[in-house]
Amino acid sequence: MIARDRNWLLIFAVCVVLAILYPFIADGYQLTVIRDALIFGLFAASLDFFWGRTGILCFGHAAFFGIGGYIMALVTLNDAIPFGSLLGIMGAVTGAAFVAAIIGYFLFFGGIRGSYFTIVTLAMGVICQQAAVSWSSVTGGDSGLIGIPPIEFDVGGTHVDLSQDLPSYIFVAAIVAVVVLGLWSISRGRWGTVLTAIQDNEVRAAALGHNAPLRLLVTFVLSAAIAGLAGALYVCMAGLVAPDLSGLLLSTEVIVWVAVGGRGTLLGPVLGAIFIQRAQQTISSFNPSLWPLLLGCVFVVIVFVLPDGILSIYARLKALLNGRRSTP
Amino acid sequence: MPPKPCSPACANASQVLPDAMDFVVTTLLNALTLISILMLVGLGLAISFGLMNVTNLAHGEFVTVGAFAVYFVQSMGGSFWLGLAAAPIAGAVVGCILEFAIIRHLYSRPVSTVLATWGVSLILQQGLELTFGLGAKPVTPPIEGTLDLFFTVYPAYRLILIAVAMLTLLGVVLLISRTSFGLDIRTVIQNREMAEGVGINTQRTYAIAFTFGAAIAGLAGGLVAPLAIVLPQMGVNYLANAFFVVIVGGVGSIGGLVAGSVFVGGLTSVLNYQISPSLAQAIVLLAAIVAVRLRPNGLFNGASR
Repeated sequence: MIARDRNWLLIFAVCVVLAILYPFIADGYQLTVIRDALIFGLFAASLDFFWGRTGILCFGHAAFFGIGGYIMALVTLNDAIPFGSLLGIMGAVTGAAFVAAIIGYFLFFGGIRGSYFTIVTLAMGVICQQAAVSWSSVTGGDSGLIGIPPIEFDVGGTHVDLSQDLPSYIFVAAIVAVVVLGLWSISRGRWGTVLTAIQDNEVRAAALGHNAPLRLLVTFVLSAAIAGLAGALYVCMAGLVAPDLSGLLLSTEVIVWVAVGGRGTLLGPVLGAIFIQRAQQTISSFNPSLWPLLLGCVFVVIVFVLPDGILSIYARLKALLNGRRSTP
Repeated sequence: MPPKPCSPACANASQVLPDAMDFVVTTLLNALTLISILMLVGLGLAISFGLMNVTNLAHGEFVTVGAFAVYFVQSMGGSFWLGLAAAPIAGAVVGCILEFAIIRHLYSRPVSTVLATWGVSLILQQGLELTFGLGAKPVTPPIEGTLDLFFTVYPAYRLILIAVAMLTLLGVVLLISRTSFGLDIRTVIQNREMAEGVGINTQRTYAIAFTFGAAIAGLAGGLVAPLAIVLPQMGVNYLANAFFVVIVGGVGSIGGLVAGSVFVGGLTSVLNYQISPSLAQAIVLLAAIVAVRLRPNGLFNGASR
């Protein structure tokens, strides 16, 4: 096992331990705050799985978050559908994956990469938000849908009800941990290696027999499916869904979470999401319009000062010290 | 609800039962209004995105800045025309600062450019909101009333808008094809290293071209200000549409710019009659995605690239 993997697993284990210990020191409200932040962390990890491994930036990832959220809301609010929570989650995941598959097919097999992909996905986010606003008979228009019930299901004879703070926290934390671990094992294995090869030189990777568009498409679909899952979890915890959830602002916020946490680390974006949300809540309590201003500054600062995220400070310091030592 | 560049139906056409000719001419003129604006906004993007390979997500804010310039001049007691003269200057100033402070350092890092310019876009939006306050800003057109065009009556200001846009475009074409600066730009675009080799200051040329594109976008913002809802967030809509104009039309030629504008603007105007504006916008963007899949090099360029 190489040192980088060991370090990652070590940090992951520390995070899991902290997540297990947290309920003993936190009250109900603090638990729900971290729970919601973890859901956005899952969303950030889904973007990082695609962006970090392929180097292609998706500027409308909130579209999938919103699609998942709306499907979950529509399924659980419909009394005629049994097992609403489970079917809702499944529908949210497949719905987001389906949309990503269609759009991804057009883009990846059409040879669209780089900046063009970014622009088209940006437009996709705009389309989704406008569809959510204008299709008001289904989506509730600007005000969205309210009264979405918490997740509940039966598994092996036990009834699981996530209307309480602690069970919902444990449920979300467990899902985030499992998904992040799963994504990590995919991206460090053969699949991730091929993606890195495609990112470095797609023509050469194709010449070696790899179906580059298909690889990118499957990665994109998987990433969108997890974003849909995050959206479904979020609307059940929040109890409402609104067009903002598929909007451009959330799409850009998730990029900041990933960029701050460190692109390509999967764990960094989760932590980035948690920390930045705390910062956002603190700052917004002074002045709500200050937050987008600060967000913009964060974008600019990251590009010039910390292109590899906060976690890179440590590596940079180390490189700096080593460099000092090695110079005669 | 996003602000639209022009209202879907001209009042005169919807009040009276429109006869076919009236309907056609009004639709055509509405489309032409939108196409004119898209061409002006798209021109700057065609320069930065198409030719310099810079994805500038703050391009929509040049439009916003132009519109706010007109509002500001009017609110200080100046005339609309004075504001319209100030609009491209405001756009140029913002564009020049942006190029100097951020974009020129990131030519080799495309994703970083996307992030940084988006950050600048957020900063400009919030900056305008903090300076001028919440809510839509009123901008009055220089002339009210309509003009009788034999087949239909049409708001006079919109006809002026079309004329100004067409004249500007003509001026740009002449600038690029006839002047020595235009020659410099064309040289740098074709081969940056060779251009440097023959003694052209490429960094300066890029900076001027970028500033120029920003100025034209600012002018577009000034022109739409009386028709649109002037908000700090108005730029995003033009941004997505203008990018599609450039992508659909294909980069590198005025013809492509016109083709892309006609595609996006024409389709939007026609659909606006049938369905809600948001849905029309969504369908146009979807159609543009499909068009890009079918003609990856643009409608106009064919297989030449």
